[in-house]
Amino acid sequence: MTPSVPELLVGNFLCLIEPPQPEAMGEFMAGKVAVTGLIGLLAAQEAQSGVETRVWENAALRALFAEAAAAVPSDLGDRLAAAAAGEDRDLSLGALDRGNAGLRRLLIELHVAAETAGDRALDRRILGLYQQMADRRLLTLPPMPAR
Amino acid sequence: MTAPIFAGGLAERLAAYLSRLWDGPVEIRDLSRIPGGASRETYRFDAVVGGETRGLILRRDPPGSLIDTDRRLEYAAYESFHGREAPTPRPVALEAGESELERPFFLMERIDGGRAAGPFTADPYGAHARALGEQFFAILGRIARADPAGLPIARLSQTPAADACWLRELDHWEGVIDSDEQHPQPIVRAAIRRLRRNPPPSAQKISVVHGDYRSGNFMHDGGGRIVAVLDWEMAHLGDPLEDLGWAIDPLWAHFETERVGGMLPRAEAIAIWERESGLAADPAALAWWELFNAVKGQGIWTSAAKEYADGGYRDPVLGFSGWYTARRHDKIIADRLVALEAWT
Repeated sequence: MTPSVPELLVGNFLCLIEPPQPEAMGEFMAGKVAVTGLIGLLAAQEAQSGVETRVWENAALRALFAEAAAAVPSDLGDRLAAAAAGEDRDLSLGALDRGNAGLRRLLIELHVAAETAGDRALDRRILGLYQQMADRRLLTLPPMPAR
Repeated sequence: MTAPIFAGGLAERLAAYLSRLWDGPVEIRDLSRIPGGASRETYRFDAVVGGETRGLILRRDPPGSLIDTDRRLEYAAYESFHGREAPTPRPVALEAGESELERPFFLMERIDGGRAAGPFTADPYGAHARALGEQFFAILGRIARADPAGLPIARLSQTPAADACWLRELDHWEGVIDSDEQHPQPIVRAAIRRLRRNPPPSAQKISVVHGDYRSGNFMHDGGGRIVAVLDWEMAHLGDPLEDLGWAIDPLWAHFETERVGGMLPRAEAIAIWERESGLAADPAALAWWELFNAVKGQGIWTSAAKEYADGGYRDPVLGFSGWYTARRHDKIIADRLVALEAWT
């Protein structure tokens, strides 16, 4: 997922340190500060759970690949099996995201293969996994009071 | 790289431009950039000409934006609907060149006294939610009913065949995701494949599609009356169900599950739209356009994330959109895919 927490926090710094043009000092600057505040609030959640979420997702994808490797054509099956044997050794967000990108590309291939083969059971299994992935990535924004 | 415009510079250039346009000396007062309208820089100011003060809005192309759109189409949309089916500000002038204010821009009259809800505020309309919801979906129905032939926007927007609206839009937004994606997105890719496998029925008619018709993109007077429909930057001709699907997307419901747009129960909103448009909201067709709109949303957020990176991470709205909002839409799409699977 992009952007990353380091990018967002550095971005917050850069956008606040930049001298605003005089015509952007009032309402526009207030809005800009409010959004940087929201980003900080959400970044706290990502700092708390971002590693756990990524480790979970990568493990869930590897488990799926281990199950599905034998049920798809060998070219894809071999790559699924190889990916299923992997593990996350570097637990930095950047390294987890790089590993996740490769696993997600394979997931797309696997889902296409399931759809092409009419494998409804695997299709449903993947759709259920999508829900779990989206749930775990969701950030919770407290509803802001209307002004 | 062009030199930045400082406050005096922008005001002076605006004064010079309007003095030529109106053939008389113009003074610019209270020039102030305002938030909102993430695809254009938006400023409010007063122009004093011949002793009269005119409240105006400047919409200028930014260096990077949430949505890459053609300001000529947006301007033509205002020309098309001002004084007609939808309350819109009066357009004043359009400049496609870069000689006046460094980037293309347009001007329109300012509507004072209105307010727009932030997309992630709670219950922004309070006791006026029902009244505003009834107007909101009635106006959308009347936009759908309008015959685009003869409207200014029809001169600039290609008219798709009734059976090709869905494909043109889906191709466009998949292309945006292909172009701007920085991290693989299996959920939206699954949705795109499903949309292609199960195309919707032909459009009942070709209408003007606002393109971003949602809560937060209209101004109301605080007393239960909509005074302006804004942000027409994605306007085009197409299937009117596209706008209805976007208007009822859960992302714009202000965290509510019972009222679409945080204003009306879904069934009531659709009934009002059907009455005013004279069209039917076929459930299967609307389901297609609802899933499509979540894909379109993901296209917008994907593009925002790319612009955020390309612009050196300096626009927090782009960062927020490419992160928090993208994840909300992933969840909406995943839930909808499971629901559609059960339905079929």
